[in-house]
Amino acid sequence: MNRIEWRRFRAGIAFTGLWIVGLGAFTAWPVVASLYYSFCDYSILKSPVWSGLENYRELIHDDLFWKSLRNTLFYAGLSVPLGTVVALSLALLLNCEVRGRSLFRLFFYLPSIVPMVASAMLWLWIFNGQYGLLNWVLAPILAPFGLHPPAWLADPLWAKPALVIMSLWGVGNAMVIYLAGLQDVPRELYEAAAIDGATGWRRFWHVTLPLLAPVIYFNIIMALISSLQIFTQAYIMSEAANGNGTVSDGNPARSTLFYTIYLFTVAFYDLRMGYASAMAYVLFVITVALTWLATRIARRRMLNLD
Amino acid sequence: MRHPAGNRLAGLATVLFAVAAAWTPARGDAVSSDGRIHVTYWDKWISGYEGNAIESTVAAFNGSQDRIVVDYFVTSQIDRKTIIATAGGVPPDVAGLWAQNVSTFADAEALTPLDGFIRDDGMSNGEWLARYYPIFAAICQHSGHVYAGISTPACMALYWNKTLFREAGLDPDRPPRTLAEFNEDCRRLTKRDPRSGRLVQVGFLPQEPGWWPWAFCDWFGGSLFDGHSVTFATDPRNVDAMRWVRSFTTENGLDDVKTFSSYFGQFASPTAPFFTGKIAMVFQGVWYDGYIAQYKPGLDYGVGPWPEAVPGVGDFATAEADILTIPRGARNPRAAWEFIKYVNSSNPRARTRAELQGAELLDFLQEKLSPLRVWSPYFEQHHPNPNIGMFRRLAASPHIVCIPDMGIWWEYYRETISTLDKVRLLEATPEDALRYSQTRLDQSWARYLLSLRRHGQTLDPTQIAMP
Amino acid sequence: MRVHSKFGRFVVYLLLAVCSLAFVMPFIWLLSTSLKPIDQVMSLPMTFFPRVYAADLDGRHREVSLDFAVGQAGAVAVVTAGPEAGRRVFLSDQQLASRSSDVRVLHRVEPGWWHITAHVDATRVVRPGSGVNSDVVEGARWDIVPRSAVESRIRFRWRNYTEALATIGGDPGEPGSTAAMNHVSFWVFLGNSFTVCVLGVIGTVFSNSIVAYGFARLRWRGRDVLFAVTLATMMVPFPALMVPLYGVFRALHMVGTLQPLWLPTFFGSAFNIFLMRQFFLTIPEELSEAARIDGCSEWRIFLRIILPLSKPVLAVAALFHFLYAWNDFLGPLLYLSRKRTFTLSLALQSYQSQTGGVQWHYLMAASTVTILPIIVLFLFTQRFFVQGIATTGTKG
Repeated sequence: MNRIEWRRFRAGIAFTGLWIVGLGAFTAWPVVASLYYSFCDYSILKSPVWSGLENYRELIHDDLFWKSLRNTLFYAGLSVPLGTVVALSLALLLNCEVRGRSLFRLFFYLPSIVPMVASAMLWLWIFNGQYGLLNWVLAPILAPFGLHPPAWLADPLWAKPALVIMSLWGVGNAMVIYLAGLQDVPRELYEAAAIDGATGWRRFWHVTLPLLAPVIYFNIIMALISSLQIFTQAYIMSEAANGNGTVSDGNPARSTLFYTIYLFTVAFYDLRMGYASAMAYVLFVITVALTWLATRIARRRMLNLD
Repeated sequence: MRHPAGNRLAGLATVLFAVAAAWTPARGDAVSSDGRIHVTYWDKWISGYEGNAIESTVAAFNGSQDRIVVDYFVTSQIDRKTIIATAGGVPPDVAGLWAQNVSTFADAEALTPLDGFIRDDGMSNGEWLARYYPIFAAICQHSGHVYAGISTPACMALYWNKTLFREAGLDPDRPPRTLAEFNEDCRRLTKRDPRSGRLVQVGFLPQEPGWWPWAFCDWFGGSLFDGHSVTFATDPRNVDAMRWVRSFTTENGLDDVKTFSSYFGQFASPTAPFFTGKIAMVFQGVWYDGYIAQYKPGLDYGVGPWPEAVPGVGDFATAEADILTIPRGARNPRAAWEFIKYVNSSNPRARTRAELQGAELLDFLQEKLSPLRVWSPYFEQHHPNPNIGMFRRLAASPHIVCIPDMGIWWEYYRETISTLDKVRLLEATPEDALRYSQTRLDQSWARYLLSLRRHGQTLDPTQIAMP
Repeated sequence: MRVHSKFGRFVVYLLLAVCSLAFVMPFIWLLSTSLKPIDQVMSLPMTFFPRVYAADLDGRHREVSLDFAVGQAGAVAVVTAGPEAGRRVFLSDQQLASRSSDVRVLHRVEPGWWHITAHVDATRVVRPGSGVNSDVVEGARWDIVPRSAVESRIRFRWRNYTEALATIGGDPGEPGSTAAMNHVSFWVFLGNSFTVCVLGVIGTVFSNSIVAYGFARLRWRGRDVLFAVTLATMMVPFPALMVPLYGVFRALHMVGTLQPLWLPTFFGSAFNIFLMRQFFLTIPEELSEAARIDGCSEWRIFLRIILPLSKPVLAVAALFHFLYAWNDFLGPLLYLSRKRTFTLSLALQSYQSQTGGVQWHYLMAASTVTILPIIVLFLFTQRFFVQGIATTGTKG
């Protein structure tokens, strides 16, 4: 590098120095160390001992690993599409020139900024089989058919759907994004489509949706990544579900044993940090793969539109 | 930098940063300014019987000498927090864990063995352990060393609702004595609503409270661990136990049981199923008398031993305990030992309330039994728990059991819960459910032993011999 | 988009109203539960409004709590002999038959009658986890009467809030007792949360703006590679860092303190760097050029030109981080062990898992208090929130 380049380089490093240190200490080092630990037998109080591929081999044969992965993908597979549909629908409704729009927006957005801990407690109470709000509403509706509402968090079949319902309460964030995107759509396009004879649904499908596509894809990716890491609400709710207060095993019947919860249990209760690191790396790979896949699809789709 | 505003901002940020970074909470010095050694003691009890009892015992210890002061701190999720604090280099001096933590924490090298302190006090391990009933002595040791003292011991017995017995035409003062009688009584105590056909009362449900799913295996004469390998699925009597668990669902109907149990309240509330007469019999611990007095005074109930499931094996019961340990790296291990010793001794000649000390003081206030073999006259005769005699008999019984001494117990425990759930929800046959857990546990156990070997550790399964 | 038909507009408003109700209902439920006494929280059938009951008890019309319905016939009696003399007990008919010698019957009881206890104006907070309704003090008067003898009216129990906050850190106990020493005041938790949030905001604004300047306004070798790496780190899931990161903080002797929760913010975060960089790129290059020609150093350009123009994005980053830090649960769960260091979110969770029955009314009251500051903050900064989300979401 000549002198000018060197000076520029020095300035650049001076400004980004903090980040480089932070990157090194809080991201790069842990990522590398995690990789190393994943090949070790590491119980937090004893020094790590190299064990090769043992952790990964065990992971493949670990039924609970697959179960937690299935549970997590089931949850993501339900909450991401449903959340997107709900958020988009609400945004579309708000996009109609309604009076009191900011009030409605407030109602929809507020739940998404509630601390997850408080939210989990509240929904734990709402889902209570006997005294909860949800069953109080559902019971009279189902009674004429001879049915009664499920016990939600106490029923292995309904525990995950309960968490999905809870996640729908927090779509306010995505809704605001979609609303902003909708408002970016030029009105002339709608008018042109109306002149061409397109009705409401076709207008939506052929004008609105394509223009909103990048926004939707970006948000689906973010939602996917975050739903793969679900922890807080499942941790709090399964602890309470067992009544024992100390076992957080995805009760009932391991139906809410999500990936991060199993990881946490293995790391801090079974004291197997090496195995937990292997699990963490697999999650990393899955996240990267899904992101790459979604980006490929998005790019191809968007290219087609042009 | 030549501009005041920017300077000031940066300066302020730097100062704030430096101040905040330098502010680390004090870690607790060994000898503080009052010239006494402060022992940090973490335990779980905030309030209620246990909380008050712990506080009073700590106060009694502090008042009995002037060298050591024990500072009690309430800590939730204490097992995880103790591990984290020990790993972080800031453990408490005394950690109040559970019996199931002994083997895991000892193998993880998280605990300081008490052998040295016992020896310095002029006893051998066996002589020290001789003060306890054998079951509690077993809980305190692992791999040939003593790692813990007992803080709150417990035995589990059969509680039955005398009113419901009467209504069903059974003798309220005669609980079932054998398993056959138990099953028959359950059938008589199960009632349905004549119009809807739904359950309104059952004799017993294995998932209530569901904290000791492994106990049924032991009760049927089965075993969980034979000292070398896991016997969860290989012992045929465990299969019998799980079949028995399943019978409650098959006899009453899965949907009926699900609906019925969804109306159960929390165990520590007036709406608990035993309190509201939804369940006639339950296996619960020595603390249950206190809960009944609190939430359902006037409940007409009885306490008795577990019915005989295996002929000839009378007075079966399960035991567990909360323990006191010294984490590795504790600052004041010797002072910690003095406290543990105090809580695990008593005044065997106490004739008044004021003369109660140590274990008896702690257990008297909790209305629980004392883990020590010798009870003082006052403790024996004036104990607030009306059924304490029954619990003492069970504690001394040769057929009382506790959890196996295995480092993978936490995982094993999760497997027993999962197996019980699968079996009672009819999601798997008992054989399949047990075999599934057995396979997992075999692998876990093999891996665990391999890991110990890798770190140069060996396990000694023999019990410490007591004189 | 304008919906022209009247019917269409009606449908839109209807849908919005129904959805709003669905979204707001949990909040209403939260408030309703937080203002009830515990016995009404778990009563069937359910009510939205908390009530206060009154009945004639021991000769006076008093405020009472409606405890439970008695299932058997029997009598309320007073023990006349033995160690329990003077105590009032309830005996079933069978028990009465065997004890008729040492009790004196006050009145009979039919099945279905209700056990009521007189409210005592509790000035002392009852221990959490004892499961006792804090309006009921040991030794208080009780009786068993028919339901028709008890009247009710609506009253909100505001006391739940003060009692919940007083006990969120444990039983306050008698002054000087161990319980009192263990007790952590709600304000400590609040203070810890604020400390972490405010320090985190300072760190976020400080570090990310500097780093983003380096990426956006300077050209240097390796800049784009480093930026690509920065973007890549956004995909690393926290669990992958969790275990070794714990080791990093252990080596720094920060485990058990609040420092791991805010110190990393002083070293930048990928998301905020990206956010600010995008913004800095929109500032015209000519401003910087002109300043450089005048001989200004890069630092001065940053401080005097770029920063003042960046207030919107700095505000958004600050807000988002405050929100994130306030709600963070996993971080405190990992690093904090002593109750005195807990943040509000962790205190709330440990409040739930205290032994003894869950006190939903206190839990809901404490949850409301945790939510309130965020709602207040949002109401004042709505514009920034919405703008910020829109910017990141649509231009991401």
